[in-house]
Amino acid sequence: MSAASIGTSPNRVGGIGRVTGLTEYVADIRLPDVLEARLVTLECARARIISIDASEALKLPGVRLAMTAADLPEPMPRFGPQFADRPVIAVGETRYHGEPVAIVAAETKDAAEEAARLVHVEYEELPAVFTLAAALDPASPLVQDPALRPNDRLASTNVLREHLVGWGDVAAATADVVVENTYTFPMVTQFAIEPHAFMAAPDGDGIAVWSTIQHPYWLQKVISKVLGLPLSKVRIFAPDPGGGFGGKQHAKLEPLVAFAALRAGRPVRLILSLEQTFQAVRRASCEVRVRTGIERDGALVFEDIEADYLIGAYADIADRVVGKGSYLAAGPYNVPAVRIVARSVLSHTVPSTAFRGFGNPQVNWAVESNLDEAARAIGMDRLAIRLRNLAKRGDAFVPFDTPADGDWEQTVNRAAELIGWGSPLPPGYGRGIALGIKSGPTTGLSYSTVRLLADGSVIVYAGTSDMGQGARTVFAQIAGQELGVPLEWVTVVMGDTAIVPYDQQTSASRSTVLMGNSVLQACRSIQAQLAAMAARLNGLDEASVVVDRGVVHLPDRQLAVVDVLEAGLGPLGGELTGNGETRKDAEPDHPLGGSAAFFEFNCTAVEARVDEETGDVVPVRHVTVSDVGKALNPLQVAMQDDGAAIMGLGHTLMEHYIFDESGRIRNLGAIDYRIPTSMDLPLELRSEVVENEDGPGPYGSKGMSEGALLCVAAAVGAAVQDATGVAIRDLPLTPERVWRALQERPVR
Amino acid sequence: MSEMVRTIPIELTVNGRRRALEVAAHHTLLEVLRDDLELTGTKECCLVGECGACTVSLDGRIVDSCLVLAVEADGAAVLTVEGLAGGGRLTPLQQAFLDKGAAQCGFCIPGQLMSALALLQATPAPTREAVEEAIAGNLCRCGGYEQIIDAILAAAEADER
Amino acid sequence: MHTFAYARPTTLAEAVAILDEHGPGARLLAGGTDLLIRLRDGTARPVLVVDLKRIAELRPAIREEDGRLVISAGTVMTDIAADDTVRRFFGALAEAASVVGSVQIRNRATLAGNVCNASPAADTAPALLVYDAVVVTEGLSGIRRIRVDDFFVRPGVTTLGRAEIVVAIELPMPARKMGAVHVRRTRRRGHDLASATLCCGVDAGGVTRLAYGSVGPRPVLAVDESGVLGDPAAPDAAKAPIFERMFADASPSPRSMRASPDYRLAMLRVLGTRALRTAIDRLAQA
Repeated sequence: MSAASIGTSPNRVGGIGRVTGLTEYVADIRLPDVLEARLVTLECARARIISIDASEALKLPGVRLAMTAADLPEPMPRFGPQFADRPVIAVGETRYHGEPVAIVAAETKDAAEEAARLVHVEYEELPAVFTLAAALDPASPLVQDPALRPNDRLASTNVLREHLVGWGDVAAATADVVVENTYTFPMVTQFAIEPHAFMAAPDGDGIAVWSTIQHPYWLQKVISKVLGLPLSKVRIFAPDPGGGFGGKQHAKLEPLVAFAALRAGRPVRLILSLEQTFQAVRRASCEVRVRTGIERDGALVFEDIEADYLIGAYADIADRVVGKGSYLAAGPYNVPAVRIVARSVLSHTVPSTAFRGFGNPQVNWAVESNLDEAARAIGMDRLAIRLRNLAKRGDAFVPFDTPADGDWEQTVNRAAELIGWGSPLPPGYGRGIALGIKSGPTTGLSYSTVRLLADGSVIVYAGTSDMGQGARTVFAQIAGQELGVPLEWVTVVMGDTAIVPYDQQTSASRSTVLMGNSVLQACRSIQAQLAAMAARLNGLDEASVVVDRGVVHLPDRQLAVVDVLEAGLGPLGGELTGNGETRKDAEPDHPLGGSAAFFEFNCTAVEARVDEETGDVVPVRHVTVSDVGKALNPLQVAMQDDGAAIMGLGHTLMEHYIFDESGRIRNLGAIDYRIPTSMDLPLELRSEVVENEDGPGPYGSKGMSEGALLCVAAAVGAAVQDATGVAIRDLPLTPERVWRALQERPVR
Repeated sequence: MSEMVRTIPIELTVNGRRRALEVAAHHTLLEVLRDDLELTGTKECCLVGECGACTVSLDGRIVDSCLVLAVEADGAAVLTVEGLAGGGRLTPLQQAFLDKGAAQCGFCIPGQLMSALALLQATPAPTREAVEEAIAGNLCRCGGYEQIIDAILAAAEADER
Repeated sequence: MHTFAYARPTTLAEAVAILDEHGPGARLLAGGTDLLIRLRDGTARPVLVVDLKRIAELRPAIREEDGRLVISAGTVMTDIAADDTVRRFFGALAEAASVVGSVQIRNRATLAGNVCNASPAADTAPALLVYDAVVVTEGLSGIRRIRVDDFFVRPGVTTLGRAEIVVAIELPMPARKMGAVHVRRTRRRGHDLASATLCCGVDAGGVTRLAYGSVGPRPVLAVDESGVLGDPAAPDAAKAPIFERMFADASPSPRSMRASPDYRLAMLRVLGTRALRTAIDRLAQA
């Protein structure tokens, strides 16, 4: 059992529970007197609610509760991470297909299901806005009440916000060649295999809430506010989610379930169906118009980018997605003049939220594809054009932000080498290469507490959410390494706001860096206490004692931590406690509120085979290389990068919401919404990392796990173009859509 | 109009243990395993037989338990993920899943294990392609397929030695 | 799900009597891979579900009898795909059975159920048409033998009578050698419902039987007795008009989410051409 495990891949902490089925997810937790809840929703995208009659439902044996807006405080409490616009339950109007109008709770699932069917809603279907064109049409209805945004010149439109980022003077820039195209990215959904689940129970004079939430402390604030309870009376239990990908970051139905529990005086549990998760969370679709100016020698002159993201009926975190996602739209290149105009556009659709990549994949698809077009226009190799313009370490490629923080050329060259860039391909095959970049967190705050117990074993408290990325294991590895104990002696406690100190959130691939540094700090504090203890016991100066990786080094000998502890704690026993805090404060003048803690940088190269008769695209070889600083657990890093690559193939080749003429989603559920199966993998998938130990995290690590998704679409699209000569600008590249593009190509 | 739900007595063997239950005709095997027998290792996701999170072995064959009525399992032998490890020790397949990093969020893993077990019982030395086909009915959104397949192949190899 | 009563007859006569009594209020349950989905989404709301799996005559079995291969109604796709006789003489049916969903689905889904469900996209239908299968039923008026081409009417509708149950599907053992293949179009390489299915069989007498599905209300069988399609030496220009005649009955629905009509029609031609080539090759190797 090795103690020094950074850079090795010990088995996942929490892995045993996952392979035995004993790990409890929210839906597996059953409180003794829990009521089962069901939602009542309408079969249309938008409606005016005329009346709701739950009397028949309430007469059903076993039904204990039926709540509508009328049962909640007036004015209706609203919440949302950016704007408090989302009502706890629909009041007066529903604004997307699936917005709940009532909740019922009963002793059994059967009774709850039947009760939901018996709630009679009288409503008038209203015209809904669910495409970009419709949303931007001045004649279309407004999704949100302008009164919600007083003093906002955009309040009389469906544009929630406009983000302007840029430098240099695009209007005045002249370039030898200008390439202009429009690209679209579809509406897709997270489709975590664990549907969202929520449970709430009165807890003395407070409340306990169980949720599949990625941000327990955000949720705690929301519940505290809508219920009017102090934070100390709101306890959030956040078991490891069964996949999050961003879709479980922010409060959705927890406030409603909390009200229901308090009303019923009993625990209430709501588990969404998979179909309902499609109606709860998604990624923003996007239309991107790109004008790229380039010189004949390949130097980028300007990037002029307009991105319209179609977000949902409530803002959730969608506008932040638009701002942060579009911010790096010009890519990891030195571009003298850049103009980015990104708009979040409201619609009567499922509120879009965070989703792995956070707004970057949409613009990356467009701008990287357009860079390929520019390369073709000047007859330059598509790898060469990227290397020529790529930012080098220290370049202020975004003038007012963190300079390029890696030797990115190394990553690109490695990917090119692995894919065999430049080597000949048989007919029907094509190759593409693309670069992806994303800002890590721009602000952040993570506390950690570590306790070194009397026998040398360790407890780590970390408020991060481990939804598969392996955070729990990484923190255990750090503590194990610093305090000299094997992983089996480290317990990591997460997911309980009453016990675990504050962590702002689990997102933006931040946790290894921010929480990891806090865990490290806490361990360092314990090491300092151990040094003082050893110095005291041996009559030495503290300065002459060094504690490193669980070994106490005195000038003349070494002692094991546990021996120092035993002697130092004495007959009363006890423990040593360390605290860590990693804070990244806001920079108010920065367009994003703060500069990037680090960048996720990735190069993806794909070799694809296209069957021109059917439109089938098979990724034959898929290479993904990420600049990670240090892989604290190399296997976990590979798992994340492989997983991100495969997820990227989903929106590239097969995923999209299908709507009917009135804004209802047609393909809810698993039968007609297709995600990659084990038979949809690249014939060869290779993921590698570049480790220069140049990150701000423990041992030189950077955050990772989104990078390998960012530019999958552009790499595959480029491969298809290379194979067929046809540039397809709209995702997904389903067989039918590829076939259609090939049919429409001009005869060669 | 809701009447008292009639229940039907069934007897089945679950993970080697005889169980006698009263079940409603319309309750699925998945619901009965999770809610009545409190074996929550088998998961609920799509409920239409597409995702495989609910995979169990029924009379020696893997099935989506969301598409089986509990009454249909009367007299049958059911094996779930909880029935794999015996005496507190992991099976070589479970150990391989751990060693190869097959589990990320873990939600699909019980189903993957059941499908993997069925494959290895029928085909002790499968090709990679055969493994891909065998688990094609088990969706993994974390995209852990490569590691899951590696784990299954490693388990196959371990059995061979 | 709404609740229902559950019956588990042990004889065919019992089952038929139940159906006679309840009519459309009763639904038959074999593999359940179609019915359970409908029960959940409410498109089926039976008063009574009749589980056929305890009826001895329907128990899974594949056996040769009087020049026919008899597949009992309870036989599941996994076993059909693995059966030596099916693979040898009715290879396209084995292929079709092996792509009906995942392993989990194939372990439950019955051939009879696939046929009775009468989805235009039923994967086994084209092969059954090519192999001239016969649906054997038992009901109030005794035993019927219905050619599968006369069995399908439109989505969800067959010529089964009110109290009539499929007991077996029979395939006449081929009089002549045949090479056949089942092909389909899907939205991904992983298992999927088909947007077009096609089976093509060429026999030693030069007759080509081509059946296709998912491009209209029911699967369609077309036969070319001229020998042109099955002739490896005949030019594409000679084959094209025959294909066109064969596909003339295709009428894909414009409302489908899976694929649009023009793509489906184009894919019929692509599938047909490729399947024909494969069928000719397989005949040569037989």
